[in-house]
Amino acid sequence: MIRRDFSERDIHMALDGELPPDERAAYDAWLDANPEMKARSARFTADREALRSAFAGVLDEPVPARLRKVVLGEAPVKAAVPRSRWWLAAAAAVLLATGGFGGYFAGIDGIAQEDPAEDRLAEQAIAAHVIYAAEKRHAVEVPASDKDHLQTWLSNRVGLKLVAPDLTANGFQLVGGRLLPAGDSKAAMLLYEDDKGERISLFVTAESVENAKGTYASAQDGPQAVYWLDKGYGCAVVGSLPREQLAVVAKNAYGQLLAGLAS
Amino acid sequence: MDEKKAAILGEIPRLRRYARSLLRDRDSADDLVQDCLERALMRLDNWQTGESPRRWLFTIMHHLFIDQMRKVNRRGEAAMLPLEAGEAVAQPAEQLDGIASREIIDALQAISPDRRAALVMVAIEGFSYAEAANMLGVPAGTLMSRIARGREELRGLLDDTARRRAIRIVEK
Repeated sequence: MIRRDFSERDIHMALDGELPPDERAAYDAWLDANPEMKARSARFTADREALRSAFAGVLDEPVPARLRKVVLGEAPVKAAVPRSRWWLAAAAAVLLATGGFGGYFAGIDGIAQEDPAEDRLAEQAIAAHVIYAAEKRHAVEVPASDKDHLQTWLSNRVGLKLVAPDLTANGFQLVGGRLLPAGDSKAAMLLYEDDKGERISLFVTAESVENAKGTYASAQDGPQAVYWLDKGYGCAVVGSLPREQLAVVAKNAYGQLLAGLAS
Repeated sequence: MDEKKAAILGEIPRLRRYARSLLRDRDSADDLVQDCLERALMRLDNWQTGESPRRWLFTIMHHLFIDQMRKVNRRGEAAMLPLEAGEAVAQPAEQLDGIASREIIDALQAISPDRRAALVMVAIEGFSYAEAANMLGVPAGTLMSRIARGREELRGLLDDTARRRAIRIVEK
């Protein structure tokens, strides 16, 4: 029998079938002599069984026709959707990570400190835009037809006097708005649409403490954010418009937001 | 139908399972598989014939997944911590087998994408360390530490969930 010291690392190797066969007997003896390690091994084994059984059913599902078609070359011309929806799931993870659990998040090894507030604002705004601007029927919680209520509600929740900017001069109509998490606080999202169905969103939060402005894009071909941060609030305008055009719309929106805040 | 395509078709159930464990939502997972298949078919020449296409396909899909996660968040895995498993999920209800499965799926989603991928490849998909390290493009030592940390993280999350469930029961 081979004599050597075992450690927790060997528990993983044994579980994953990576322990050399001639070490197995010595390993088992070590486990028997270490109840704590034995319990850990049993726990990891149980978790693995739970994982396997949670996903076992997937193998028995019929293969979706669209996947067969890709392989068999019968796929129709790819729809003009800029990116697949799994991108949205990834974006949702970011939104949840940076928004919903800001409090917890900020506590981990100072990760939040490495993350300038303006990046965070822009990323939250882009993540929200990617998710909700793609929604046809559920893009907003309160529609533009109920604008007064929308403004009152969001103002109360976010803690800012919020007046939805009128962007008709830029060709955009208000679709409506929704309330979102933003770090430890809340953000208002206002969604606009032009007559071609192009959408932009305004993301406003009362959280910011520093002055900054700029543009930000999280992905090469994804939407861009034009943002401002000032004492007491932050604002980002997000869309996939050409940069110059987005900047013009953003400037108009920002001017009106500021006027609204002061009103 | 040529042999290559038949072999790729045969891997779809496995690819779907891997994608589902990475992304949870069924439609999103199938979108990822679709992207992977499209890319694979464009690069059919890269696949060494005579071999199973499994590892080749898993490699393509994994890189699609990780690239996109990085693009979505430049800060990488650190920011991918929606740690409150079970409460973080705003997904449509899926057909899941009971609370235990749902809890472990939630917990798996809450660990970092790199650890999740490493753990799933070995623990669910049954690849060896050498195979998984090769597909993920990391040294074996890195793979092992991701697996070990992934398991610890998963265990902690499951314990937290169980604790919260217990507290809720007590409060009733």
